[in-house]
Amino acid sequence: MLRSLWRAATIAATTAALALPAVAHADGGQNMLHPESKQAHAIWTLWWVMLGVSAFGFAVIVFLLVLGWVRRDRASLPFGGGERAGTAIVVGAGIFVMIALLSALFVWSDIFVLKTTEAPAASSTRLTVKVIGKQWFWEVRYPGTAAVTANEIHIPVRTRVNLEGTTADVIHSFWVPELNRKTDMIPGQVNRILLDADRAGTYRGQCAEYCGLQHAHMSMFVFADPVPVFRRWLANEERPGRAPATAQERLGRRLFMSMPCSGCHTIRGTPAAGTSGPDLTHLASRTTIGALTLDNTRSNLADWIQNSQRYKPGNKMPGFTLTKTETGALVAYLERLR
Amino acid sequence: MAATVTEPGLERVRRLETIWDEPHGVLGWLTTTDHKRIGLLYFFTTLVFFGAGGVEALLMRTQLSQANEKVLSPETYDQLMTMHGVTMIFLFVIPMTIGAFGNYLVPLMIGARDMAFPRMNALSYWLFLFSGVFIYVGLFMHAAPNAGWFNYVPLALKPYNPGRNIDFYALGLIFNSVSSTAAAINFIVTIFKLRAPGMSMNRMPLFIFAMLAVSLSLIFALPSLTTDLVFLELQRNAGFHFFDVAHGGSPLLWQHLFWLFGHPEVYIIILPAMGIATSIIPTFAKRKMVAFPLVALAELLVAFIGFGVWAHHMFATGLPTIQLVFFAAASMMVVIPSSIQIYAWTITVNLGRPDFRAPLMFIGGFIAFFVLGGLSGIMFAAIPFDQATTDTYFVVAHFHFIIFGAAVFPILGGMYYWFPKVTGRMYHEGVAKASFWLAFVGTALTFFPMHMLGLLGMTRRIYTYPNGMGWGAYNLSETIGAFILTAGLLMIFANLAYSRFRGPAAGPDPFGGGTLEWSTTSPPPHYNFPVIPVVRSAYPNWDREDREADRARLRRGELVFDEGHETPAATVVDAVPDEVLEMPSESPWPLVLSVCTAGLFVMLLVRHYVVAGVFALLALLVLAAWHWKEPEEE
Amino acid sequence: MNSFAYRAEPRLARPNGWWGIAVFVATEATLFGTLVGTYFFLRFDSAKWPPPGVPEPKLTLPIVLTGVLVATSIPVQLSVRAASRGRLGAARAALLLAAVVQAGYLAMQLHLFVHDSHEFPPSGSAYSSIYFTMLGAHDLHVLVGILLSLFILLRTASGLTEYRLTGLRATAFYWHFVNALAIAVVLTQLSPRL
Repeated sequence: MLRSLWRAATIAATTAALALPAVAHADGGQNMLHPESKQAHAIWTLWWVMLGVSAFGFAVIVFLLVLGWVRRDRASLPFGGGERAGTAIVVGAGIFVMIALLSALFVWSDIFVLKTTEAPAASSTRLTVKVIGKQWFWEVRYPGTAAVTANEIHIPVRTRVNLEGTTADVIHSFWVPELNRKTDMIPGQVNRILLDADRAGTYRGQCAEYCGLQHAHMSMFVFADPVPVFRRWLANEERPGRAPATAQERLGRRLFMSMPCSGCHTIRGTPAAGTSGPDLTHLASRTTIGALTLDNTRSNLADWIQNSQRYKPGNKMPGFTLTKTETGALVAYLERLR
Repeated sequence: MAATVTEPGLERVRRLETIWDEPHGVLGWLTTTDHKRIGLLYFFTTLVFFGAGGVEALLMRTQLSQANEKVLSPETYDQLMTMHGVTMIFLFVIPMTIGAFGNYLVPLMIGARDMAFPRMNALSYWLFLFSGVFIYVGLFMHAAPNAGWFNYVPLALKPYNPGRNIDFYALGLIFNSVSSTAAAINFIVTIFKLRAPGMSMNRMPLFIFAMLAVSLSLIFALPSLTTDLVFLELQRNAGFHFFDVAHGGSPLLWQHLFWLFGHPEVYIIILPAMGIATSIIPTFAKRKMVAFPLVALAELLVAFIGFGVWAHHMFATGLPTIQLVFFAAASMMVVIPSSIQIYAWTITVNLGRPDFRAPLMFIGGFIAFFVLGGLSGIMFAAIPFDQATTDTYFVVAHFHFIIFGAAVFPILGGMYYWFPKVTGRMYHEGVAKASFWLAFVGTALTFFPMHMLGLLGMTRRIYTYPNGMGWGAYNLSETIGAFILTAGLLMIFANLAYSRFRGPAAGPDPFGGGTLEWSTTSPPPHYNFPVIPVVRSAYPNWDREDREADRARLRRGELVFDEGHETPAATVVDAVPDEVLEMPSESPWPLVLSVCTAGLFVMLLVRHYVVAGVFALLALLVLAAWHWKEPEEE
Repeated sequence: MNSFAYRAEPRLARPNGWWGIAVFVATEATLFGTLVGTYFFLRFDSAKWPPPGVPEPKLTLPIVLTGVLVATSIPVQLSVRAASRGRLGAARAALLLAAVVQAGYLAMQLHLFVHDSHEFPPSGSAYSSIYFTMLGAHDLHVLVGILLSLFILLRTASGLTEYRLTGLRATAFYWHFVNALAIAVVLTQLSPRL
């Protein structure tokens, strides 16, 4: 009796706990149970149906176990069945019912839902964005334009966007849970996925294939903007880096070009053309530093430049010992690059 | 039931004792070929590795208990994460189920006196021990494998991993696979040839069917891993090109070859657990397993179909749709043999008069966890869902429910179940039941929240996570759960350790088991059975007449085989008696050959290839010496 | 079942040693299966195979060599037949003849290996990498076979026992497997020209 109560309590708690993510809003925007696209919604529906059927199946087995305990003094099934009835249940439930359920799941998920989530023909999309995974950030390009940015992908809302993913080094995986499933980024291969956000907003994603020391700090934002906002953003991104306006900013630019910075980073319109680090041409228009490791504020940027290893140990950027003037100048210049 | 042994019988038993006795002390253990001693060596060694893997887990869980923790650096975390997987799979669960349980029980259950190749059995153990030490030397040098237990390329290649870490991985696992292959060959031949007269294939215990399925799986799965690892070492250290696109290679080649091994591997992990469950249930339900032939077939089918599903680990890699759909269909098919077994187990419990002592409780927990993990597994056969949740904590939940909940719980239950047989003493039942509940709650609390974390977007293999993701509370409860689970495990081992010295005496058959290990003394003598049993059903120890007939044969001197170190062999399918085999006794060669092999692998690691060649040559000479003296000459 | 005819002549089932080698051969065959699988996986992933700069595989010499190796299955099997009938001298002669030819084959293979690896080194392409790995694995198996044959010859110098006869049978099984595999390997290596 106690055991069956315990089991019931466990199941109730389980179901309640499972429902939690659906109602909890305190998540980072990376919650696949908050679908924000047709594709993510199809997966969401698939999940809940599978969960329902699974909960029922689990309950059946738990029921059988509890029943075995409750009726442990009787050597027969409740309706008086013996070996033959038992075998019939094994065959009926274990084989035929399972085949029926699995076939139904197969047809629904692997034929119909799959059609929704598979990458569509590029010709049926309105925009292509190319993302290249690099240890440990995302290089974002807009083919057909000069725009190159990092870690923050802007797309027009309610537009079918063809995202092409590849990598420059090891295998990464592109995943923005609220918009679609994940797709691996494999050397020598271009994998495509559809992004089609229903609402304007910010969607968080994270690298989903272990890629080395700072795999944990390789996240990204997808901003779905109203179309005119997106157009303005893209037009701005295409422009080369803004020239420094003050003496401090000019000092900053000089330091940037003479220090190792320009060897790893690109600022379009300047001699800096490095590719192992993110493109900084419009750094000041981004909300974070280090692929969502820190918020993009002046003091964080100053800290990051001097000691990025403190926040993202093992990342490829060395630390720099700088005077306050030098740090102030660099930050001023970088914050100019809107 | 004490057997009355008359004078001629006593004389024969004494002769058997003398023939089968092994040297005492350390030397005896170093040269042993007794499958029971080898089983015990495996048991204690794998427990040490279980502890190591557990410590690795607790360290990781501590690091993840809160956002932005700084208990471990990313480098250390990555090594611990990889070593946890490698240790638990290659150095704990497989050697425990096959090396410990398999070795100890298989000859006993089939009515034989030893394995078909006793010295190769010892060799398997020593190779396993040295391969485990080899890999752990890497950890102690802070150069442990660090690219995850499935070690994807290009991350595992030289440009991204220049140190020795991956070489420890590749060479260590090749080394380990020699041990497993040898063990698999031994089990197959033993099960085919050494079964007691009358134990035709349809009368083999279900545990034996499971061990046969496991061994066949190892034979056909390990080569894929070996090839992959050889390619990896050749690319890393000899400039070959298998995995880099620039020279015509493919990173997916690594994945295909790995998972061609890796998926059968997970069935290799679960099958012995199914075998243990199918041993415990009939004993405590006090009736035969329902649909016995279906269950036996299901055990074999799981292994077989399991070879056709590997690419479901690669659903997000951009494979063509037709391939995705094929592998999803195959992955659904493989569910059927498991569901057959689940219903057979639960119906058997219902049809019997189950005695819910500790071993059966662990099996109850196993069934619950196996169904839970199996259901999330089925979800992964829905490709779009898989592509959303792969590489997240949802997968971590799934496989831990299977590997821990469903593979380890039968191991724990099996430890209690066969403890009286191995030690001759009984464990404490009350403490055992309490330890079950602690372990059960701990397991559920550790792994269940991981489902939620996956759905909330937490990816795998991250050493830390930021605030504000909604992940903190779940992570913290998992860490608490891990410590509760640890307490449960410690309680189990404390119970067994205490009972080993202070437990009340248990007779040969305290639970009323139906298989042959319960027909001999506890612990069994070196020669297992004074008379080789004649078998007429799948539960021979429940056939009291037949067991009486065995005792009568001892008096008459039939089937005693006391003229040498003997065990009989029979035909493969019907177990018609065929010949008497002279078994080798204790030998130093397995240990010596293992040392040479270890030398070879160490030299390969440090790239002293000439010295490696010397060790290889030595190994060949040892092999020649090993096979020089023939059993009849001893 | 009241009486049991143990030590029946001839035995009903194959000896344990035979089964052991059979299972071992199964695992090695699977190993070669993965090598062949790798070859074709890489091939069908490439635009040009062999890649530019690498010569097409020679046709005649490999086929002739393979034919010679496969032919040694005949003396090997004859050796087993003779030994089963107690004719030890003939058995040893046949096995020795086979071993000499196999050693000659291996010497030729090693020469070709060294020569070809200078021409299209494994460090140059995936093609050469899989080519030489597969070839190397095959040659290694031939070497092991020769060592097995030598061991049997050594042991049977002092007479034939049941144990040594099983050893000879196991060695023969192993050789037939290696020779069959040689055909598979050479067909794979020559597939660009077929």
